[in-house]
Amino acid sequence: MKRRSFLQSASSASLPVLLNGFGVSTIAKSSLFNFIDPDSDRVLVLIQCNGGYDGLAMLHPLDQYSKLSDVRSNILIPENQTIKIKDDLGLHPSMEGLANLYKEEKAHFIQAVGYPNQNRSHFRSKDIWTSGSAADEYLTTGWLGRYLDQEFPGFPEGYPNETHTDPFAITIGSAVSTTCQGIASNFSMAINDPFNLIPLTVSAGGEVPNNYYGEQLAFLRDAILKSNEYSEVITSAAEKGTNTIEYANSRLANQLKNVALLIAGGLKTKIFVVNIGGFDTHANQTGGGDATEGQMSSLLLELTDALVTFQTDLKNLGLDERVITMNFTEFGRRIQSNGSFGTDHGSAAPLIVVGSCVNPSVLGTNIQLPDEIGRQAAVPMQYDFRSVYGSILMDWFEVPEDQVRSLLFDEFRYLPIVQKCNNISTATYDQELEKFDLSIFPNPTSGNSTINFDLSQSSRIKISLFDTIGSELEVVTNKTVEPGHHQIRMDLSYLPSGHYYVRFISDHFQKTMLVTRI
Amino acid sequence: MDIFPQTKNTEIINPDLIEIQKYTGTWDHSTVKHLLSRTIYGATRDQINECINKGMAVSVSGLLKESTIPDPPVNYNVSDDPDVMIGETWVDKKLSNNRLRGYRRRSLRAWTVGIALNQGISIQEKMHLFWHNHFVISDIQDPRFEYIYSQLIRKNVLGNFRQFTKEMTIDPSMLRYLNGNQNTRFNPNENYARELLELFTIGKGLQVGPGDYTNYTEDDVIEIAKVLTGWRDRGYNSRRADFTVETYFVPNRHDSSVKKLSHRFNEVEISNMGDQEYAHLIDIIFQKDEVAKFITRKIYRWFVYHHIDKQVETTIIEPLAQILRDHDYDVKPMLEALLTSAHFYEMTFRGAMIKSPLDYTISMLNQFESKPINNQLATIYNYWNLIIRISEFLQQTPFEFPDVAGWKAYYQEPGYYQSWINSTTMQFRQIYRDLVFAGKLNFNGDIRNNASLKIDMLDFINSLNGASDPNILIDELVTFLFPQEINDAQKEALKEVLLPGLPDYEWTVEYNDYLNNPNNQGFKSAIENKLIGLLQAITAMPEYYLG
Repeated sequence: MKRRSFLQSASSASLPVLLNGFGVSTIAKSSLFNFIDPDSDRVLVLIQCNGGYDGLAMLHPLDQYSKLSDVRSNILIPENQTIKIKDDLGLHPSMEGLANLYKEEKAHFIQAVGYPNQNRSHFRSKDIWTSGSAADEYLTTGWLGRYLDQEFPGFPEGYPNETHTDPFAITIGSAVSTTCQGIASNFSMAINDPFNLIPLTVSAGGEVPNNYYGEQLAFLRDAILKSNEYSEVITSAAEKGTNTIEYANSRLANQLKNVALLIAGGLKTKIFVVNIGGFDTHANQTGGGDATEGQMSSLLLELTDALVTFQTDLKNLGLDERVITMNFTEFGRRIQSNGSFGTDHGSAAPLIVVGSCVNPSVLGTNIQLPDEIGRQAAVPMQYDFRSVYGSILMDWFEVPEDQVRSLLFDEFRYLPIVQKCNNISTATYDQELEKFDLSIFPNPTSGNSTINFDLSQSSRIKISLFDTIGSELEVVTNKTVEPGHHQIRMDLSYLPSGHYYVRFISDHFQKTMLVTRI
Repeated sequence: MDIFPQTKNTEIINPDLIEIQKYTGTWDHSTVKHLLSRTIYGATRDQINECINKGMAVSVSGLLKESTIPDPPVNYNVSDDPDVMIGETWVDKKLSNNRLRGYRRRSLRAWTVGIALNQGISIQEKMHLFWHNHFVISDIQDPRFEYIYSQLIRKNVLGNFRQFTKEMTIDPSMLRYLNGNQNTRFNPNENYARELLELFTIGKGLQVGPGDYTNYTEDDVIEIAKVLTGWRDRGYNSRRADFTVETYFVPNRHDSSVKKLSHRFNEVEISNMGDQEYAHLIDIIFQKDEVAKFITRKIYRWFVYHHIDKQVETTIIEPLAQILRDHDYDVKPMLEALLTSAHFYEMTFRGAMIKSPLDYTISMLNQFESKPINNQLATIYNYWNLIIRISEFLQQTPFEFPDVAGWKAYYQEPGYYQSWINSTTMQFRQIYRDLVFAGKLNFNGDIRNNASLKIDMLDFINSLNGASDPNILIDELVTFLFPQEINDAQKEALKEVLLPGLPDYEWTVEYNDYLNNPNNQGFKSAIENKLIGLLQAITAMPEYYLG
């Protein structure tokens, strides 16, 4: 927290004491949609799935089933009960609604999203995901907070104002989201019930001392002022808005219901963050005897139902081209299950993006499982989560690529997640360029191997070697190469025999391949 | 029924405090207020005066005296528990049906708050909450398990951290919460092993290599999980009359192979020691100096401030950790050194901590000497339950945590304590304090007994030195209630609440009218209503959120 900014914003906060009642002035509720501002900005809804979900129980790699049944038979959904969305990919039976959205071209799946050197602590990995940092980088701002800081410098000083009357971000619940932590303040406002926001008593201010006490006092004064100013617009939007469909009575559905209501009521908030917990399934991930029952099954049903209802509501409200919804979790889980019908902390996991403007595809390929799967082995990353974030910033919020690089990381590669609704992306992404031969020979290898590939245009290439825990052991190459055929030598002789993954990224293509050292 | 802890006399060893500079400044209202606001829930004016008179050394050693373990929680209002009469404890009684868990659960939570509310001048209950937030459990459905866990904390509150960790490792609730009871040689479950290292003892350092977190490695997690195999709990939700809640060791579930820790633990090998192996493991972990530093930082963030820079690390954390090591992980000498240090009393820390929901709610009631409206058992428990209900709204409930790392306020950068505050929780705080002073706080969540509390505001101000002068009245109130001074404009604004547009003597006149005619309802309620407004306005100020 930058103390200076707080003190500045606080010293101006000298207001008389006001006492107030509890009531919120009620505005006649309108069921019409005529308050919607057609020029309103686009909205990103994030669903934070707490606990680290088992991606292999969500997107089942059907071509790897025999190996999966060797190491997770006690929790594995029978192949014929998964819902096929591609020949080699089956969704969990609780995710039928998402399979339908996918058919309707409203869902996008990204396989194996993570980061190099996976940290398996919930807390550290959540920090990494919400701040958008590297595994060895400690940032105190959130990835959306940094974006908003760039767009609205100086926040919270001077906000709200005539141009920006609404909160930039809202977390549904009783805690603000760390994704929205800016330099001086968190951009998100936490609200539980948008109809029941009570104005807080504003008290006299004055100078605060230049020490920790003063810092905390300034924070509180500012929080009270902001809360009051934003409460009015939120309540007014809630009064104007409406839902068109019944939501299930689940925690997640209730949160998304309020999000739809507020967007429908014309609130110009750009980011909403909602939460669902319970994915830390060390035990009883599946119900005794039936892998389609149990904790994971109910969670996925809650997630799917809420997403489908929300999407339908937005469609009915005519808002579906303004909103995309993405979920994320701190890590995936191990490939091997444990003896408690559960799974332990792992590495990469899939992400799901829903909306009428998404690219209706599955990005990435199925994991290549080795013959022997170690106890620690988890899904290797194919895509860096910061490339997902950055691509959404580019396509959805029109952030130029160079800014994305400075907000997130220099190795950013654009991914075609949002591809419809005339998005004004600055990125070019030619699907044809994906089609080039990438091979490793020999594989298995006793030491030296060669990575072969063809490029039709010049590209920044990075090739790195990972172990099955998710650690990046070596960057084999990281440079810009010209069009044509390339051979890159890789030496594995220093490594103990076993299974490794080679991760290849170019400007338009990313792939993770199994390599075995014998 | 003795529901309140009593203190017993226990001598404490005086540590050799060479490294930490002792506080030698004035011992006054401000220093005492700071000490008590960090160590107890809401000091009364009498308690503050008592500590001013005693001086620092005696006050701190008084705070650190061990309390007796209170009598267990009881059935306070349920007539259809065939095994427990009203007024009797349920902690050792069978559970005839699952529905009965509801009142037992409420009883345990209420009782926990009741002890905090009635602790006297003792650090016991804030340390209890510290350990509860350290050794987190959650989602335990049998209140008898939760009670045993809670008693384990009470027993070790000011005891030996290493011994405490050993006992907690095989506590029945902990075995359930972190899947230790499913950890077997056939199917190791590493949930507890990871948190034992990351959150309970040594902490996670920077990731410096593949699976290497400076203080331990991913392989250590796996090996330690093996060490901890074989433990089970019994009695969970048991309906048998002869049930016992206990932990037991099953040799056949224990991995008897030799476990090898990484270079982070000097590649030590642990051979099979059966049911003693876990204790041996904890001895090995506690040989690392980092354990003392890790817990000291956590205690510092609990009692002083979240920010630990290099200077604090070297001049405060390291010497305190050394004291902890020198005393073989007995926490008391270290706490005494901290609470008598010059650092602790620096102005910058006085009032720099946003009160947690439990601190905020319990402290307000204690400061204003609130009481349940009568002394019936159900009324008392419902009064305590009310506090639970409110702190639940404010995002803090004993026995329920957002996750295994505990409440975000004590670890989440950059805001730490600020995580308690947002527009939702501030609104709840406002509703709570306004209802408290308006005398309208009711508990309707239980079946028959509605309890409400009472604060005798007139008694409260009558005991001030100069309540008949509005300036002195406000001065005394803000000095008592705020951690640091406020300015004249703020005091003027408060006086405007008390006497909108009226000269000072109007208060004096009306207050004296009441004093001279204490039974005149008209005079009395006029003064009371004015005070309600004033106290609502004072406690609405952000200064009151701080302690």
